[in-house]
Amino acid sequence: MLTLLRDLRRLRRELALPRPDRGRSLAVRHVDCGSCNGCEHELILASSPYADLQRFGIGIVASPRHADVLLVTGPVTTRMRGPLLTAYAAMPEPRRVAALGDCAVGTDILGSPDELVGPVDVVLPVDLRIPGCPPTPNAIAAALLELLDSRDAV
Amino acid sequence: VLAGDDGELRTETVEPVAGVVPSIVGLVPAADWDEREAHDLYGVRFEGHEPLRPLVDHDLNVASWTVPVEGRDPYQVAVGPIHAGVIESGHFRFHLVGEKILHLDARLFYKHRGLERAAEGSSLGHGLRYVSRACAACAVTNGVAYAQAVEEALGQRASAELARARTMLLELERVWSHLNDISAVCAGTGLAAGTQRFAGLAERARQLNAQLTGHRFLFGTVRIGGSDVELDAGRASSAREELARLRVEAASGWRELVFNRSFDDRLVDVGIVRARDARRLGASGPAARAAGVEVDTRATSPRLQYDGFVPVTSSRGTGDVKSRLEQRHLELVQSFELLESLLSGPLRPSSTENDGPERALAAARVESPRGATLCVVERAGDRIERVRLRTGSYANWPVVAFAASGNMLPDFPLINKSFELCYACADR
Repeated sequence: MLTLLRDLRRLRRELALPRPDRGRSLAVRHVDCGSCNGCEHELILASSPYADLQRFGIGIVASPRHADVLLVTGPVTTRMRGPLLTAYAAMPEPRRVAALGDCAVGTDILGSPDELVGPVDVVLPVDLRIPGCPPTPNAIAAALLELLDSRDAV
Repeated sequence: VLAGDDGELRTETVEPVAGVVPSIVGLVPAADWDEREAHDLYGVRFEGHEPLRPLVDHDLNVASWTVPVEGRDPYQVAVGPIHAGVIESGHFRFHLVGEKILHLDARLFYKHRGLERAAEGSSLGHGLRYVSRACAACAVTNGVAYAQAVEEALGQRASAELARARTMLLELERVWSHLNDISAVCAGTGLAAGTQRFAGLAERARQLNAQLTGHRFLFGTVRIGGSDVELDAGRASSAREELARLRVEAASGWRELVFNRSFDDRLVDVGIVRARDARRLGASGPAARAAGVEVDTRATSPRLQYDGFVPVTSSRGTGDVKSRLEQRHLELVQSFELLESLLSGPLRPSSTENDGPERALAAARVESPRGATLCVVERAGDRIERVRLRTGSYANWPVVAFAASGNMLPDFPLINKSFELCYACADR
């Protein structure tokens, strides 16, 4: 256990990620609406020591009730349209929606038309689009920071 | 599709009579999901499969797709399709008494995109996009399985250099995947230091993928009839050096996990799948090998470069969470060794050779990080008539449901993570 912590401390020193100059936070609820799981795997690593999303006050929360942002992946399947709307309805105001990855953004959708509703903006108003197939952990972190900074405009 | 002990596949076809074919679930219980799916998507009925519960069809009521459960005050807990972490979408319906799970009905296919149907009519080359995009975590496996099936249908055989390129890509996929899976089991027990240590290593493995091929998940590296992946001696050797560093660091992290008693306590005798059940349910990959079932498609893959490959099995072999975790570690070491030799020299672009008869229907099987993935392709000229992808995750989902029975509900996330299956390539 001590070695694990020592290794992580050393990694932190070596990476020397800049300290954030922000004093706020952003609570993110992720909803998978039919992704290939690439976006999920990269989103998980956005919390790894290499991108360390948490140092900016950005965290993944368990419930849409606790969330500022709904981070949606996938081309929105017909079966996930309902759950997506339910999650959105559960969020407190002000609330934001971010489309994560090319499927969610709608630039490169693959599948049978009768199984898909379409990109996220067909279902919900989208405030932020994060392109990429999939976007890298750093790209995800940078985009969420942009959203965090723009919250003054809400 | 029938597989011989030598890995050769034989396909048998059955013509339905008035939309009905005889069920094989009595003979092969693992065909349960396949028959239910064929019914829901293509209207095929299976004589002798009773009750034929809906699997992909979500329009019916709960009683139609769940198993009736009786007991003293049994109740149900419905979880998902949206989960509390960064997890793919799927619904689990637990039947409980107190905290004990009596039975679990997993209802997936929330992510069903109809990829196979959408691929019908497209060119054989274009079809690769559909199977690769079915799942990022298994992109190489699915791509290679499809490419091999198509090449089989076209009477082509991979050259030694192509076999080497694909084997390297498959093992690079396994390395990041197994590092991710070890991290996931740590997350399942709440051991944050282990989670982050192995997540950091998974990040490095994906960075290496990007350096070697231009993509962190190795997208676009598989094509039909050849490979464009090219590595000069310098890049191959720097990749070997980075893999050697990852191997040392993974070993150091692993030692910390092995000697952590409170971590270990959470893993032992949880989510047990015995060898007999693993065979009966058609478990595959690390999940089967952790139960002592020595099956690994890599041992019988003449189209890849796995000469002399011998599957490793966890010495515990009891099929619990700890066995499945140990299995990942053993296979990780094995993959590092394979890559050491696969990257021993420069890799040149390569192609296939024509050497056999052309066929309309062909199949291929490739070992994914989660188990054997089968791809069957039916073609009309250079167009796809029908394609089916039966992935390692698809094979193992019923095993997860079985493994959950008899355990406490709070242990389910850990049991689930010890399999760490994809939803995307099961749902397609």
